[in-house]
Amino acid sequence: MTATQAAASIGPMVKEFITGTLRARAEGKQKIAYTFIVCHHEEIFRAMDVIPIWTENFAGICGAKRDAERFLQKAESLGLSRSLCTYALCGIGFDQWREELGQMPPDAPWGGQARPDFMISSGQILCDPRSKWYQASQQFMPDVPIYNIDLPYPLFQRDRDHRDVWGYYHKYIVKQLRGLVAFLEEQTKKKMDYDRLRELVNLSDRTWNLIEETYDLRKAVPCPMGTGDAMNTMVPINFMMATQQAYDFFVNLKKELEEKIAKKEGEVENEKYRLMWGGGLPAWFALTDFNYFNSKGASFPVETTYRMVAPLNQMDIPETKDPIEHLAWRWLGYWTFWYDRAQKRPGSEPDVERLINRIEEYKIDGVVMHEAFSCRTWHVGLIWQLHQLSKIYKPIPVYVIGKEGKKEKIYRELPSLILESDIIDITSYSEVDTRNKIDAFIETLESNRLNKAA
Amino acid sequence: MSGKQDNILNTVEKYYKDYGLRAKELKKEGKKLIGYVCSFVPLEIISASGCIPFRVRGDIYEPITKGDALLETIVCPYYRSVFDLAVKGKYEFLSGLVIPHGCDSMVRSYSTWSYSLPYSYFHFVNIPTVCAESSSEFFQAELDTFRKSLEKFTGKAITDDDLARTIQIYNENRDKVKALYEFRKADPPLISGAELTMVLTVGSSLPIGEFNTLLDQVLAEIRKRGKSPLKKGPRIFIDGACLDNIELIKLVEELGGNVVADTICNGARDYFPKTDVGRDPIDALARRYLDKINCPKTYRENKTGTFEGDIASRFWDIGAYAKEFKVDGAILYVYKYCDPFGFEVPARKAYYKSINVPLLPLEDVYSAGTMSQLRTRIQAFLEMIG
Repeated sequence: MTATQAAASIGPMVKEFITGTLRARAEGKQKIAYTFIVCHHEEIFRAMDVIPIWTENFAGICGAKRDAERFLQKAESLGLSRSLCTYALCGIGFDQWREELGQMPPDAPWGGQARPDFMISSGQILCDPRSKWYQASQQFMPDVPIYNIDLPYPLFQRDRDHRDVWGYYHKYIVKQLRGLVAFLEEQTKKKMDYDRLRELVNLSDRTWNLIEETYDLRKAVPCPMGTGDAMNTMVPINFMMATQQAYDFFVNLKKELEEKIAKKEGEVENEKYRLMWGGGLPAWFALTDFNYFNSKGASFPVETTYRMVAPLNQMDIPETKDPIEHLAWRWLGYWTFWYDRAQKRPGSEPDVERLINRIEEYKIDGVVMHEAFSCRTWHVGLIWQLHQLSKIYKPIPVYVIGKEGKKEKIYRELPSLILESDIIDITSYSEVDTRNKIDAFIETLESNRLNKAA
Repeated sequence: MSGKQDNILNTVEKYYKDYGLRAKELKKEGKKLIGYVCSFVPLEIISASGCIPFRVRGDIYEPITKGDALLETIVCPYYRSVFDLAVKGKYEFLSGLVIPHGCDSMVRSYSTWSYSLPYSYFHFVNIPTVCAESSSEFFQAELDTFRKSLEKFTGKAITDDDLARTIQIYNENRDKVKALYEFRKADPPLISGAELTMVLTVGSSLPIGEFNTLLDQVLAEIRKRGKSPLKKGPRIFIDGACLDNIELIKLVEELGGNVVADTICNGARDYFPKTDVGRDPIDALARRYLDKINCPKTYRENKTGTFEGDIASRFWDIGAYAKEFKVDGAILYVYKYCDPFGFEVPARKAYYKSINVPLLPLEDVYSAGTMSQLRTRIQAFLEMIG
């Protein structure tokens, strides 16, 4: 159940682009590429008329439909451990099965995942499986070439201004992206149209800013849209960037949220607690847990997961007319967005700084995280981030300098909850245990609420 | 570190069991020790700065306790163990720590390390994921940043001559290690796998000059040996990541196998490749650490268009060493939650099949508690190939 009309429209959209890739495969007019989200390369794909298949998305669909297990078991039968990224295991298991049969596995979710013409993997700094997954799949599709883009960014280091090094990072990323263009030109036998690329980059930039403005509306009390919806509206952000459809989607969502705010219509009828989804990918098979939170009066005005954009007008990146150079700067601007703020607060760090910012801006009462056992990329560091937060948001009253310079006694306790399961491996999940944990967490929030009121 | 030549392996054992003993002495002498994990950290630069590189290791007998309060249990168990020892103060003699982009566990936990430990110096070295000309250029710039960071920390310039000199010393070190591996070619080998891993593990806790002296002493000791410490048995190859304890190898040898070759990180993967001399030292180091260290973390393009060609190219070292050391069987030892190695298991299995080397793939959790299970599986494997 979603709170917004916009989020409700996502399911058919996803189904359409899965079936669209199958139609394109059958027609054979356009090249199809396996690839990953958050690589800032969508504009290049679309300018070259290459159809992306977001393989993490397909694995997520298998998970959401509770139909990933048979593909995970296929992967295990090849010798792959269940402890590895289950998106990748699901994808590899599916590929192996499809290639073995020479057709889609029986009753494949939404018709299945089309065979690609090539695969674009990404050796990002944050995800090993991204450069290993397609290499493993190539065992069953040796005729399908891979281009691996290396997209590093400077890791936050306390004693360094990232601008001291980002010049050579930028130079490298530009070369990697130009390499991608050359690869696609060779595969499609077409030349890149740089004017079109520039237009698409501009469209994406405008969409980025629009998303930021739209999501900022969720600061309203009561909150008009929660994380349960955002796990749907992540689709245009992550799978449809550089399309007019994505831009229009957020125009409509923004309008819908403004209307809800005017009517004081919240995600939940009687908003008692405002929570942040502070880290971790969701358990795609258990999104109804958000509804369970809602039923207790808890709303989620903000999340860090899948909000893979940042306001460009607040990014300190150089101007350039070259769209490839801009993509590289935007990449660096995005990943270093919180660095300056983190430098200013002793003991902070970009991910922690982002959490603090969201807690303050969205008036957050508690933090919920999810630890998916199979993914180190997004799920390592969460415990430590909560440790750092607990140094600021202490379970005792603290005095701060308030209005007119007077001391004020405030309660800044911020309870947190870490849920444990996986992104798509349903065998790791217990609904009873999860909901018991949620109930206990809600009790803590209620106790805090009463303390504050007193 | 000192020891008479005739009992040098006893001395090695002492330093292995009390890991960091020499480092503590050096700390008292006012030396700066810089800890590191993974084979991707260019030790030559640390040594050229006047600091002493010290490989932090885990302990399979030590339950992970304090570390788990700060770091998720989905991190590779070897790395968790190292972190746990560090937060318990095992490495308090260190002045700093260097972590490279070796895997997600290293990258994502860097903040946790740098804020949880009291060292005054931390540095992260970003390693490209692909091997291309642009990657090499980038990596050179990144190594130069590392060099400047150490210069700032020590207050001493690191000249090209300093680097050239340490490159030479490390290359000598690798020659000596290679010479030690030569003793494994005898049947049965003149040095056991447990002895060799113990020497290399201890060596990574010493200044490079002392490690070289140690190797000279060990080489002299082994040369004097009339016979092998092992009975003739199946010649076993160990394939995997970092194996900084001897328990698995000892187990294989107790069960009658002879461990004669490997691709492990504190073994052939790290010690066999040398740095080119006569070129710009940073360029030479970039090429060694990126191109020559054959780690699954680095993506290597399939230029053959076939799966068979791809695995022959990616795993060439396994085939070459298996032939050179005449192995009868291999153990692929992979840690749970290790994505870089874990995703290669099917391809590695196929490669071993293609070179007709029987394989025992094992997934383990870096704990002494699993040794009895491993014993059963290894025993069955040795009986099968014996």
